[in-house]
Amino acid sequence: MVQERRILYEHLDVPDINTFDVFRQYDGYTRFEKAIAEYQPDDVAKMVMDSGLKGRGGAGFSTGLKWSFVPKDIKPCYLCCNADESEPGTFSNRYVLEKNPHLLIEGILICCYAMGIETTYVYIRGEFTLGKKMLDAAIKEAYEKGYLGKDIRGTGLNVDIYSHPGAGAYICGEETGLIESLEGKRGQPRNKPPFPAVEGVFGKPTVVQNVETLCNLPFIIGNGVEWYTQMGPTYADTRANPPTPDPNTGTKLYCISGDVNEPGVYELDLGLTCSELIEVAGGLRGEEVKAVIPGGSSAPILTHYELDTRLDFTSLTLAKSMLGSGGIIVMNETRNIVDCLLNIMKFYAHESCGQCTPCRWGTPWVRDIVQRIADGNGRKDTMTRPKFGVAENGRWGDTGETEEIYEDLDLLESVANNIANVDTMTWNTICVFGIAVSWPAVSYMRKFRPEFEATIQEGKLVTLPVAEATVSPEENYAYQQRFVPKEFADL
Amino acid sequence: MAFVKLNDLEIEVEDGTNVVEAAREHGIEVPHYCYHSGLSRPANCRMCLVEPHVFFPPAGAIVPDRQLATGCTTVLRTAPPDRKLDGKYDFIVRTDSQRVQKARADILEFLLVHHPLDCPVCDQAGECDLQDYSHRHGYDKSRYLEVKNVPPKKDLGPDVLLYATRCVVCTRCIRFADEVSGTGELGLVHRGSHDEIDIPRSHEGVPLQLLDNKLAGNVVDICPVGALISKDFLFKSRPWFLEKANSVCSGCSVGCNITVEYKADGLYRIKPRFHEDINQHWMCDDGRLGYHYVNSDDRLQLPLKRVDDELTPTHWADALSVITERLSEIETEDIVVIGSAQGTNEDNYVLQQFAHDVLKTTQLGLFGQLLGEEHKFPQFTIEADKNPNTAGARTILGSANGNVVLEGDALWEKVSGAKVVYLVSGGSERPLEDAEKAALESVDFLIVQDILPSEVTQLADVVLPGTTFAEKDGTFTNSTGWVQRIRKAIDPPGEARVDWEITQQLAKQLGGEMNYHFAGEIALAIAENVPGYSDTSHQKIGDTGIKLAGSDQ
Ligand SMILES: Cc1cc2nc3c(=O)[nH]c(=O)nc-3n(C[C@H](O)[C@H](O)[C@H](O)COP(=O)(O)O)c2cc1C
Ligand code: SF4
Ligand code: SF4
Ligand code: SF4
Ligand code: FES
Repeated sequence: MVQERRILYEHLDVPDINTFDVFRQYDGYTRFEKAIAEYQPDDVAKMVMDSGLKGRGGAGFSTGLKWSFVPKDIKPCYLCCNADESEPGTFSNRYVLEKNPHLLIEGILICCYAMGIETTYVYIRGEFTLGKKMLDAAIKEAYEKGYLGKDIRGTGLNVDIYSHPGAGAYICGEETGLIESLEGKRGQPRNKPPFPAVEGVFGKPTVVQNVETLCNLPFIIGNGVEWYTQMGPTYADTRANPPTPDPNTGTKLYCISGDVNEPGVYELDLGLTCSELIEVAGGLRGEEVKAVIPGGSSAPILTHYELDTRLDFTSLTLAKSMLGSGGIIVMNETRNIVDCLLNIMKFYAHESCGQCTPCRWGTPWVRDIVQRIADGNGRKDTMTRPKFGVAENGRWGDTGETEEIYEDLDLLESVANNIANVDTMTWNTICVFGIAVSWPAVSYMRKFRPEFEATIQEGKLVTLPVAEATVSPEENYAYQQRFVPKEFADL
Repeated sequence: MAFVKLNDLEIEVEDGTNVVEAAREHGIEVPHYCYHSGLSRPANCRMCLVEPHVFFPPAGAIVPDRQLATGCTTVLRTAPPDRKLDGKYDFIVRTDSQRVQKARADILEFLLVHHPLDCPVCDQAGECDLQDYSHRHGYDKSRYLEVKNVPPKKDLGPDVLLYATRCVVCTRCIRFADEVSGTGELGLVHRGSHDEIDIPRSHEGVPLQLLDNKLAGNVVDICPVGALISKDFLFKSRPWFLEKANSVCSGCSVGCNITVEYKADGLYRIKPRFHEDINQHWMCDDGRLGYHYVNSDDRLQLPLKRVDDELTPTHWADALSVITERLSEIETEDIVVIGSAQGTNEDNYVLQQFAHDVLKTTQLGLFGQLLGEEHKFPQFTIEADKNPNTAGARTILGSANGNVVLEGDALWEKVSGAKVVYLVSGGSERPLEDAEKAALESVDFLIVQDILPSEVTQLADVVLPGTTFAEKDGTFTNSTGWVQRIRKAIDPPGEARVDWEITQQLAKQLGGEMNYHFAGEIALAIAENVPGYSDTSHQKIGDTGIKLAGSDQ
């Protein structure tokens, strides 16, 4: 049986760990002290690069690589800690803020030291009132103890941290939406490039990093790169040519919710399978797993055929899904996928910032189509279209045949794909919120097409038995293979 | 210069040009809403998607489809030698690929999802980018079955209405108010599909600030759809019934380039016309909405002469003979001829020729609108001199040997007690200050050439009905030395005549030898005789104007 490996969360439940003194007893700030005593800033940045740490906020982008894009000669440079955690199914940052805020401060200090940053903004989700209170208290204490402010511990290092509450918009978790909001504007993502690393807060280079990402830094410094890279699998990166190692190192704070007996946050090595994770979370509640959302509500859904999928960045990308924020939602046989999609689409329709045309008007349209189907008003008219499926080469493609499909399902798929195309992974929107909308919409519909069809057919929500609700494993498999060369498919 | 492959064309474009503009220069339309060359570029409408080809993947690599890019923010630049595409191009881009065509149609489909499709009652119909692009790039039927959003119609300010249902949320209007006028009255309220343009309001919906600045009318022009509508033009005419004449605003000495839109029965609206160095895309509301006097029922339509202390209508022959009779009676010294800063260079040239050659007087004056207020905005200035041609009139009136052009107090001193004054006013309803009034009252015989009854015409012994900027051809010289053409749009009302024609008729009756047939002919005479104006034939001036040599600003 897989065991949790608690690193970030190791001392989470120690009484009063939120106070400086107790945190100090558990090595608090010693890693930061080690960094400034033993390493040059560039060494720290190199260690982070070598550690293979990937951003935990959603995109899974290599943290060291991101740092390397920051121009060294433009000052000031800012750090924005993304604590806007609002992806449905995600709640791991929150515990850090509420219970162990000094760990985050230590992570921030290490990042600031490595990047020559003097000002950090922590953008906290507005609803996290307790988290903000605890963090503010910790910041105050750190100032008092000389770990923040001017000339920290006599090293000449200056770091200020400001915490800034959000005002209740999911899109302010997107890094450039966050920056706009922080600057006092409407939370609307910016066009990229320029990326924040080059032009961020107040037009200056800015490192945007998730809470969990920053909390990894003390341990990378404290225990060394070698120790860190032993956790988690390493694959050949199929997107590089020639393939290079694609590390999935460290632990991940998996937020497990839904139909498991003991939902909660579990800190585990990257690379465990879905089934293992369900076991860790006290096992399934119910008879059978029907579906698993592996990375927050925007991630494409996995069916019961895919429970062996490893939950790490690379494996999930190859499975045409994503680890995203690590919010894992397990669904048992009683769940209706049409209803689940409706729930998710309501969220996205409400949260679209409205800036760009496809997302502003496409997202509520998708919601309305799903609503109509769920209400039993899906049109029974069918249409003929080219059949995409397992093509001759064994991969998803135009089979050369045609198929009959309910007009509304074609419409649902097409409208979602027009916001952001999940097949080509291209989007016509300003930010990847568009993908976050069309990924669930298209993947739920394609993978659970029988359930959608039954719902339209019967004119009411129909929950099919697990075995009948999904398309065949072959179709499912092929669907995953669209862009992945077959050679790498078996990782 | 960047060497670019645009579709199948090989073109050279200036570094920094975006794809939308580069394509436009070569007659290729890249549809766009949010992009406006006078504003910042949020790239939010996604209408201008194009397919760039920017890199060569290493051999054998699995390359996912490239993102389409927004043409408005894709800027063409010279690439370093080792980054040339196909060995020679700085950029390769297609605006006509299947993917681009599909993306356009898809965006248009989204844009129409909540649109009320009320073109039959929409002012913008016929000049609407949504209509035009849908027609050229869109699908022919809608797949939308759900309920449409119906945001309320809003009154934003003195001249601007928002038909919010038609808004495509391109934010051009917001950016105009932020960047050009700097007044910032507009913003977005609500979020997502409920986004609405609005002015600041209290929670009860009471406006806290109106869209009430002197540049507000520009938002109507730049709104690509029929969402922002001018109350002045509302339901007046279908745009395709309007004739258009390129002209110049007569509202102040900036000299904004305009298009006068008219029908036989009068002017319907005025729109700014792009001029890079003068007004860019904009004009002010004084100029835009100030045209109504042209259409006024009060316009002077017949000559008037004083009979028993009453101004009574008469015919031209009579009015002119009354004047010539009087003029032939008196000494040159006793005549003052006053030209107008509202008049064209041509009007003033004929007037000074009349004074100098026929009346043999060198005493000229310059009359015009009273000094008004200057209004400065971040990217626009409305000048205090409310005359379009002060610079031109001044130079031209004084261009003949020995001419003295008096202005202000010196002029009124001269006018006081003069026997005859021939005043070509040409402005709309100019009030008189006390000293001016006293001076004019003291004149024995006052001839006023004007377009509307005013305090000036009330004092006249003979009134000659002249014409406005919309009824004649000619040129104005603005405060920065640009000589620009105005063009005749409509016929003058009743028996009113073009100002220089009236003056020429008087000259002829007094034995003068002038015989101009059209304004362009006078311009040639100006070019020949007025220093600095040698280049200003109407042909050369064209639609963009000519900047006088030596005018530095
Ligand atoms: C729609 C949207 C919402 C996001 N929400 C969050 C969020 O709540 N928290 C977060 O850390 N990152 C969020 N992200 C990811 C951020 O844009 C960004 O990638 C991340 O903060 C970078 O930090 P990391 O590299 O440490 O993960 C979101 C991204 C998108 C597109
Ligand atoms: S994709 Fe959606 S959330 Fe992102 S900028 Fe566009 S409208 Fe806003
Ligand atoms: S009112 Fe017009 S200009 Fe303003 S956002 Fe809407 S469509 Fe654009
Ligand atoms: S600024 Fe002057 S010239 Fe321009 S529109 Fe206004 S009044 Fe006319
Ligand atoms: S014109 Fe380029 S995105 Fe709107």
